[in-house]
Amino acid sequence: MNTIHEIVLNWGIFERMLAFVLLAPLVGGLLAGIDRKVSARFQGRYGPPVLQPFYDAFKLFQKEKIIVNKFQDFNIVLFLLFTIFSGALFFAGADLLLTIFSLALAGTFFVLGGFCVGSPYSHLGAEREIIQQVAYEPMIILVAIGMYQVTGSFKVSVIAQYELPLILYLPGVFAGFLYILTIKFRKSPFDLSMSHHAHQEIVRGLTTEFSGSTLALIEIAHWYENVLLLGMVYLFFGFNPWLAVFVALATYLFEIFIDMNYARFKWQLTFGSSWLFTAVAGVSNIIVLSLMR
Amino acid sequence: MSEPQHITLIDKDQLVGISAELFAEGYRFVQVGCATLENSYELTYCYDKAYHLRNFRITLLPDEEIPSISVIYPNAFLYENELHDLFGLNVRNISIDYNGTLYRTAIKTPFSIENVKQPVPPQPKPEVVKEHPESVKEKTEEL
Amino acid sequence: MAQKNTIPFGPQHPVLPEPIHFDLVTEDERVVDAIPSISYVHRGLESLVEKRDFIDFVHVADRICGLCSFMHSMGYCQAVEEIMGVEVPLRAQFLRTIWAELSRIHSHIFWLGVAADAFGFESLFMQALRLREPVLDIFEETTGGRVILGASKVGGVRRDIDADSLSGISKRLAHLRPQLEELSNVFINDYSVKHRLSGVGYLSKEDAYTLGCVGPMARASGLDMDMRAIGYSAYKYLDVQPMIETDGDCYARCLVRIRENFHSIDLIREAIGKIPEGPIEVKVKGAPNGEYMSRIEQPRGEVIHYAKGNGSRFLQRFRVRVPTFSNIPAMIKILKGSEIADVPNIILTLDPCISCTER
Repeated sequence: MNTIHEIVLNWGIFERMLAFVLLAPLVGGLLAGIDRKVSARFQGRYGPPVLQPFYDAFKLFQKEKIIVNKFQDFNIVLFLLFTIFSGALFFAGADLLLTIFSLALAGTFFVLGGFCVGSPYSHLGAEREIIQQVAYEPMIILVAIGMYQVTGSFKVSVIAQYELPLILYLPGVFAGFLYILTIKFRKSPFDLSMSHHAHQEIVRGLTTEFSGSTLALIEIAHWYENVLLLGMVYLFFGFNPWLAVFVALATYLFEIFIDMNYARFKWQLTFGSSWLFTAVAGVSNIIVLSLMR
Repeated sequence: MSEPQHITLIDKDQLVGISAELFAEGYRFVQVGCATLENSYELTYCYDKAYHLRNFRITLLPDEEIPSISVIYPNAFLYENELHDLFGLNVRNISIDYNGTLYRTAIKTPFSIENVKQPVPPQPKPEVVKEHPESVKEKTEEL
Repeated sequence: MAQKNTIPFGPQHPVLPEPIHFDLVTEDERVVDAIPSISYVHRGLESLVEKRDFIDFVHVADRICGLCSFMHSMGYCQAVEEIMGVEVPLRAQFLRTIWAELSRIHSHIFWLGVAADAFGFESLFMQALRLREPVLDIFEETTGGRVILGASKVGGVRRDIDADSLSGISKRLAHLRPQLEELSNVFINDYSVKHRLSGVGYLSKEDAYTLGCVGPMARASGLDMDMRAIGYSAYKYLDVQPMIETDGDCYARCLVRIRENFHSIDLIREAIGKIPEGPIEVKVKGAPNGEYMSRIEQPRGEVIHYAKGNGSRFLQRFRVRVPTFSNIPAMIKILKGSEIADVPNIILTLDPCISCTER
């Protein structure tokens, strides 16, 4: 692992970006496959093959192209591009804040994609997606602030190589981040705007009107996004790469476990609880840190 | 052990009055049943209180109207729409009137008199028919 | 304040796998009006009495609904038997009661699963449907069918269950009980389930009564209404207790069904203990001449089977008043003022059976 780490360190910024663009969908798709398999086992089913998400994506690309209006595809392509862009920035070791804001921008394009079609389900889903963004965004910014307070830099490359374990300084921030990760991964208590299964009051919410290759692009964007988010988990344990990768995977399994054990919350509780958690865990952690320094 | 069946025959003008009285007495509205007869309809309004069912029967000619009781019992609107859609009866002043769109049936008013073929009860057995003329013969012989 | 949107809910909607349609008029996430429309798949089974004689019609009655199929044929047979003055042997009455209660368990467990699916608890849904299997297996072994039993006939039942099988059923239900308790525990105690169900879709006792609610819907609002108390079939020999909750919300409706599950298990075991030996059917001669309104308690509530005959082999009129039809007015009442997120829960806690409604 350390040798891989060194190789990565020797790469230039574009090589790292390229590696992310090529490898992230593979890792993300594989994770999605593991997610489906593990979820199925939790429910006492066999579940699909681990490679099923890839089969699904290929199949979706072969489907007939049905577009409700021309802005729909435009928004989704932008969503994908900005997700890739923010992920590439992150893995190239650039500014963490820039990564977070471009990810938020990507989310905004996704919402616009939901709003530009006529379906009321899609509109409701888009409205809920905005509420979710408002719910999780403060916590993500707190992650960046907390890391800056400890390491003195917003640079991902600096944070990742920081010798001291960040998690010891930022336990509250990490807990808050875990909480909103459930929203970002679209897992069960918070899968309001679109759930993995269409068994929801608003059908499939935001993605109701998307089909074929556009839907595949959304899926792929989510793979990129998931890898990026797990990368952020990695940062908390950057002092030990092995431990960090392990924790990132454990986090993912933990989210699946949470998914299996909760009913869907309503938006009021989602919003209230995530802000409360942000305030209690995140903000207090930041305040304590600033008093210590 | 069978449930006793009380059926009271009433006139259609009495319906609203009786419903209001039963409502005041704390009866629950159960259903409107309807059966198609040879050339009239037989409506049965059922009310229940403490497992005691009371039925009121109205016999209605095809072109007659009946008043709605949905003002008194709000849940009656579904049954009254049903009467209109399946039997072609005219119900006046239903609170929520679907105007014939509650049931989408292949033929309009499938239970109206024109559409319902009444089953024929079995004819008296031939033996009975034979006996009859014989007895008549005997009688005539006696005479 | 907000603009009004109309959200179509059904007839094809993933939460509700049955063809009922609501036009939900909403302001943001609040429903201000709901207009139901049914009859997307009306089958005209009532009209079929013209073409099938009263003995054959049992099979049609059996197929009115998938979840409470046995109860429909049982209600129909009861109506015809009462008209013709047929005395059904006691053993047949007990057998009917056992199958009817098994149907209730099967229907309620299925309902629990579908409700869990509606509030986004997929693993619970899978567990519930798994627990339904043993009941279906019992059906298969005793009648040959898993869903449509075809066990009831005018004058008795078609098949007997021997003593060994009866004690086997009793044992399997005893085995099912702890598993069911575990499942119910999640519904009763889980925080997220409570968040979705309690306080949602409140229906007062008065409203439930005047709007003609039946079944678990009425009992959850505090009404003591269980047609088994009339004592039809073998219920007069059993200790039937209506399960009553007073909160009137979705959570109470869920509790009523959970408690009924356990009560049904008790009733079946009691019936198995009391079942007498004897014939299972009597020969039926002649044809029905007269009318009868038979009321029985289905999983969803009171169902009325009305039969009217004029001495011919074909009935003059057969009518089913199904519980869902009776519950729709209350559903509209609760839907007004609720939130979009609560709509699936409200509709499902009523347990609509459109297949019954579209008879």
